[in-house]
Amino acid sequence: MLKVLIPTIMLFPTIWLTSPKWLWTTTTAHSLLIASISLMWFKWTSETGWTSSNTYLATDPLSTPLLVLTCWLLPLMILASQNHINPEPISRQRLYITLLASLQTFLIMAFGATEIIMFYIMFEATLIPTLIIITRWGNQTERLNAGTYFLFYTLAGSLPLLVALLLLQQSTGTLSMLVLQYSQPLQLNSWGHMIWWAACLIAFLVKMPLYGVHLWLPKAHVEAPVAGSMVLAAVLLKLGGYGMMRMMVMLDPLSKELAYPFIILALWGIIMTGSICLRQTDLKSLIAYSSVSHMGLVAGGILIQTPWGFSGAIILMIAHGLVSSALFCLANTAYERTHSRTMILARGLQIIFPLTAVWWFIANLANLALPPLPNLMGELMIITTLFNWSPWTILLTGLGTLITAGYSLYMFLMSQRGPTPNHITGLQPFHTREHLLMTLHLIPVILLVTKPELMWGWCY
Amino acid sequence: MASRLSRVWPTLSRVRVSAALGSRCVSQTPKSSASSAAVASDLQPVSPAAQDSHGHAEVSPFEKNPDFHGFHHHDSFVDEWNMRLAFFFGISVAIVIGGTFIHYLPDHGMRQWARREAERLIKQRESEGLPLMTENYYDPSTIVLPSSGEE
Repeated sequence: MLKVLIPTIMLFPTIWLTSPKWLWTTTTAHSLLIASISLMWFKWTSETGWTSSNTYLATDPLSTPLLVLTCWLLPLMILASQNHINPEPISRQRLYITLLASLQTFLIMAFGATEIIMFYIMFEATLIPTLIIITRWGNQTERLNAGTYFLFYTLAGSLPLLVALLLLQQSTGTLSMLVLQYSQPLQLNSWGHMIWWAACLIAFLVKMPLYGVHLWLPKAHVEAPVAGSMVLAAVLLKLGGYGMMRMMVMLDPLSKELAYPFIILALWGIIMTGSICLRQTDLKSLIAYSSVSHMGLVAGGILIQTPWGFSGAIILMIAHGLVSSALFCLANTAYERTHSRTMILARGLQIIFPLTAVWWFIANLANLALPPLPNLMGELMIITTLFNWSPWTILLTGLGTLITAGYSLYMFLMSQRGPTPNHITGLQPFHTREHLLMTLHLIPVILLVTKPELMWGWCY
Repeated sequence: MASRLSRVWPTLSRVRVSAALGSRCVSQTPKSSASSAAVASDLQPVSPAAQDSHGHAEVSPFEKNPDFHGFHHHDSFVDEWNMRLAFFFGISVAIVIGGTFIHYLPDHGMRQWARREAERLIKQRESEGLPLMTENYYDPSTIVLPSSGEE
């Protein structure tokens, strides 16, 4: 764990001491090296449990894919931001990369934490760099509103979580995940216990987000600059899923009844947010609502608490992280050229940018869960486990899959196909950097088809 | 409806987008034409060195440096080396070497072994004519049950 954490902390001297000419080169190379080293986490030393060299930070088959995704995303964020941050004064550029690197550090410590309180502190700590990125570098005045929604939705959810964790510490004497997984089932039979159950999960449901409390997400994703959108969609949402999976261990047997309304909300959210996607005019907003839709499926899979549900949730989280981030990068390339997120403004791009049309095509196919990509595998596992729980859910999940295919194709056809308007022909050609960014997003998704057991988690 | 829009749209888009794009289109018609009379950018005269909010000049960076890779606008040396290092560390190191490392990871949880063992046993039992699996996990004669009717 330290062999990745120390180089990540050493990113800060790299950022501040490199000469301005080579800043982006060195940070890109440094973070790609960290990403390569992070692949060593896949070598689990124990067959069933945690891999750790100390009691504070450990990895297990649930946290490892998310950790590797986090480490992979930092160089991609740096690549994506290089163009629009470059004109700014050098110290502000350094500050921007510092915020990204500090997010990385907090996220590694969050996913690697063995104490739930440490996870909670890191979970909260990630809010600060993200808030600064959204409100300082966002492009429209709505970014202030977006930052407020983002901050207060998450905080309002996580304050009950703090109280619940302190209560848990009081009753069990420990908050170490290593120990709690073996503790006796708690006596959960009163109304107070039910409120405690809800308090444990609300923070993560807001973060995922669950449909009823999802309003912060479209605002935050749309107003954030590209690196902010990438990290939000790819990793920060998964913090919610990861937290839920860790907490579920202790929340039985109440979860059998109490999960019911949340599963229904999640499923209904898939349909509703999918339908909203079909009516969007703003490209980033469409991708943001698509994220809510996919994460609704993940939330449903986690709340079901079966091995297939958990495995499907992890697979879908990883696959969605990569693909959603790729879509935001593509949307940003259109935004940097036209300075507008309106979809009908940047349409008919295939004739002008043929290779980029390939990336748009693959990213949208992945988004609509094309086999054999892991997006489909995760979705199928979750749909199957939901069907096993109640056959009626197939109506909602099936319709959700249909609508997902609908809006993904709508996004592709609207941006790529059709007659090219006259104002598009003057746009700048695509840079090597942007093509590299897309390949670095999409090649891992395709490679994961060949070795899905990296993502199956510890339930299988 | 769509045909009406497609007739109106080109003019609308030219007005709106040229206001937004302003100085960044490579081919620029003279500003004295009638259609640009309503364009907002006419209010501030556009010069070739005009910069938009992101500091991009009116001229595309590909004019000065045809091998522009998108990494550094003014220094082609830094731009080229940034591209080389990004590709090397991103693809050759992370994806190729990292991918090879992942490919050769040991069989975690003995899942691949379990599949091979199952196939081997199936083949063996089918050739010997034995049933694939016995119904009882434990030998029933070894199970001692309490007799019914007592306590």
